[in-house]
Amino acid sequence: MDMNAYLSMFIDESNDHLQSLNENLLQLEGSPEDLSIVQSIFRSAHTLKGMSATMGFEDLASLTHEMENVLDLVRNSKLKMDSFIFDTLFKGLDALEAMVHDIVGGGTGQADVTSIVASLQKIVNSDYRSGMAEAAASGSAMQETSSAELGKALLDQFQTSIMMQSMESGHQPYYIQVTIDENCVLKAARAYMVFNLLEANGEIVKSEPTVQDLEQEKFDRSFTVFTISTASVDVLTEQISNISEIASVTVTPLDVESLNALTAAPAAAASAPAPAEPVQAAAPQPQAEQQVKKAPAAQAQSQQGGGVGRTIRVDIERLDTLMNLFSELLIDRVRLEQLASEIKRTDLTEAVEHMSRVGSDMQNIVLKLRMVPVDTVFNRFPRLVRDLAKTLDKKMDLVITGAETELDRTVIDEIGDPLVHLIRNSGDHGVEMPQERLAAGKPETGTIHLRAYHSGNHVFIEIEDDGHGINQDKVKAIAIKNGVVTEEEANKLSPDEINMLLFAPGFSTADKISDISGRGVGLDVVKTKITSLGGNVTVTSAYGKGTKFSVQLPLTLSIISAMLIKLGSEKYAIPLSSIVETGIIQRDKILNVHGNRMIQFRSSIIPLVSLSQVLESPDYDESQEQETEIIVIKKGEKLAAVMVDEFIGQSEIVLKSLGKYLTNVYGISGATILGDGYVALIIDPNALIK
Amino acid sequence: MGEELKVIVFALGQEEYGIEVDKVRTIERMSPITRVPKTAAFIKGVINLRGVVVPVIDLRGRFGLDETEPTENSRIIVVAVDELEVGFIVDSANDVIDIDSDTIESPPEIVGGIKAKYLRGIAKLSEGRLLIMLNLSEVLNKSEIIQLEQLEV
Repeated sequence: MDMNAYLSMFIDESNDHLQSLNENLLQLEGSPEDLSIVQSIFRSAHTLKGMSATMGFEDLASLTHEMENVLDLVRNSKLKMDSFIFDTLFKGLDALEAMVHDIVGGGTGQADVTSIVASLQKIVNSDYRSGMAEAAASGSAMQETSSAELGKALLDQFQTSIMMQSMESGHQPYYIQVTIDENCVLKAARAYMVFNLLEANGEIVKSEPTVQDLEQEKFDRSFTVFTISTASVDVLTEQISNISEIASVTVTPLDVESLNALTAAPAAAASAPAPAEPVQAAAPQPQAEQQVKKAPAAQAQSQQGGGVGRTIRVDIERLDTLMNLFSELLIDRVRLEQLASEIKRTDLTEAVEHMSRVGSDMQNIVLKLRMVPVDTVFNRFPRLVRDLAKTLDKKMDLVITGAETELDRTVIDEIGDPLVHLIRNSGDHGVEMPQERLAAGKPETGTIHLRAYHSGNHVFIEIEDDGHGINQDKVKAIAIKNGVVTEEEANKLSPDEINMLLFAPGFSTADKISDISGRGVGLDVVKTKITSLGGNVTVTSAYGKGTKFSVQLPLTLSIISAMLIKLGSEKYAIPLSSIVETGIIQRDKILNVHGNRMIQFRSSIIPLVSLSQVLESPDYDESQEQETEIIVIKKGEKLAAVMVDEFIGQSEIVLKSLGKYLTNVYGISGATILGDGYVALIIDPNALIK
Repeated sequence: MGEELKVIVFALGQEEYGIEVDKVRTIERMSPITRVPKTAAFIKGVINLRGVVVPVIDLRGRFGLDETEPTENSRIIVVAVDELEVGFIVDSANDVIDIDSDTIESPPEIVGGIKAKYLRGIAKLSEGRLLIMLNLSEVLNKSEIIQLEQLEV
């Protein structure tokens, strides 16, 4: 079978499962007693194992298998989660991610996982004994039926809640002990028959030993089952006894009290007793699934009730193709409008106008299709903050708001790294050590807020910590020491300007270089990246209270507003976002400073750039003109005036790349197709300002 | 008997060249080309190929032959190799033929002034016609272009 056809599906789904594993593990770390989370983790791991085995990624499958073993013990309350297990599971997860990544890159997904597998096996084995002891304990409980002894066969909260619910719907939960005849040869087969019978009468909630162990005859002579059924005690007893080679059967009906006792009894071993309600709230999904088993017809409904969105996966390339086709249509539309206005026939004009309106609606939808919630980037940050807190020995929480805010796919792909850097920065330099925080009268645990929201044509992402804020004197001192500013300049800076020094190249306030941040190659790279996306980053801080980084991003990168200009016979586009204003200068107003041409603009002197020279224009030379049109552009704080031949006007343009063959063309950031079908190049203003 | 190859035949000057059909996306008449500044001389610019911006190179210039003004017969052959999509300006493109891969012989060092590494081989057709098969990945080799650009600067 050709697996390649399934590879992309496998990668997508693996990533989904890895992500949900990551999230659930984090959640579980927050509430280690919640077994319903373990259930969903187990399911994800199990699916992942199955998929990788099918695809032939053996290492992936075997590592998942070992993780699953550990989770299985936890799931069955035979193992309590502790930080060692969490760390090992996280490590395993990282290894899995690396393997999937390798597969994405065309590799075989092989990796040396022996050390992780060894630690996982150690976890399983060291607990194996206590697991056995527990089984033995429940074995000895067989002889008696008092509910206190029943408690040895542990029920977790989730199972209890199912049984509670079943009672409300008129079913009766039972506790059944079955002992198989001593001379029985096929014990597993007999157990299977008992299970078959019980399943025909109702639903099995739990068995001790587990079904897997029973199937492999890993039990002595007796086993116990918690089941829900509508049949009476007598009927069940009789039916089970009718199976041959069954030595004895005890069926005990359970009521609310005994159920509560069952959950309460193992409290010391497994978890604090909790009433059914919070469990229901915490575990809507597994419960829904249980109900599905009972009534398959209700499946679709309960899944929708669980909030599963109705979506399909679409290859991003197809969306790009759609976008391309649409922009072609846009070009034709402009052409049609032009023709219609020339021909001046009313019905033609009406038809064209209607098409234009439909076209605009379509443009909105096509653009929306490319929008992705920022959650796709944010979802890896809880893990990042957790690891950060561990490495730094600090305590911190990450609070995410507005994860549903949508951004263009191209922006999303680029924004991850800068955000990682800012969050690390907040964790490392912002949040203080726990004892420092307590001394400052703050809660021991620091909080990092990550917020995203829309405003106008922009999306804002804020990273705010409640740490010690920016020490402006220190910032100034370091900036002077590192030669970013002179002492004289530093004294003139406003507080905001001092904060912005953090983004200057070669600046780092960390006293010592750490793994996390502080190599001095951080925030300036962040700023460059965000600026290249057409965005902006600012920082505000209150000393002693905290720091807030605010990142402003454009909604989309695929359609931008631009100024179209002419240079002789050639047309170019300049992004409106970097244009300050346009104007005209007289030839005699051009100043010469050290051989560089400058002009006076407002109260300052700014450099004058000849676009025709930069772009080696074949048929335009501004030096022939008495007065020249200029466009003042900005790059951060710096301004420059660019001389052009003629302004054409402002227009919405569709960004196109020049293709893989032409990369890094100086001064050109891309191309667009104009209404007349010609290609116009888009000028990169950042390249024009030194 | 080797495998059958379907080949698009085009002309540069007096010689006939061949590119496998499955590498060719489309053949277009000359259309307006937008010049891209600061690129190698043989890169003529970009065209709008039904909504996609495609770079165009003059194959004569690429091979170091004298460039000529485009004529009525000039065509742009758009090829796609390893995610690269590039248009070649050729003097004319007028035939699709089947050739037997066994008839392709390795090229001599220089054919019509073109270095052998750009060539996959020479196919002998009937009536003494010779067809020069191009090695597209070498023709589109970017590292060489970068070297060329550095030489020009």
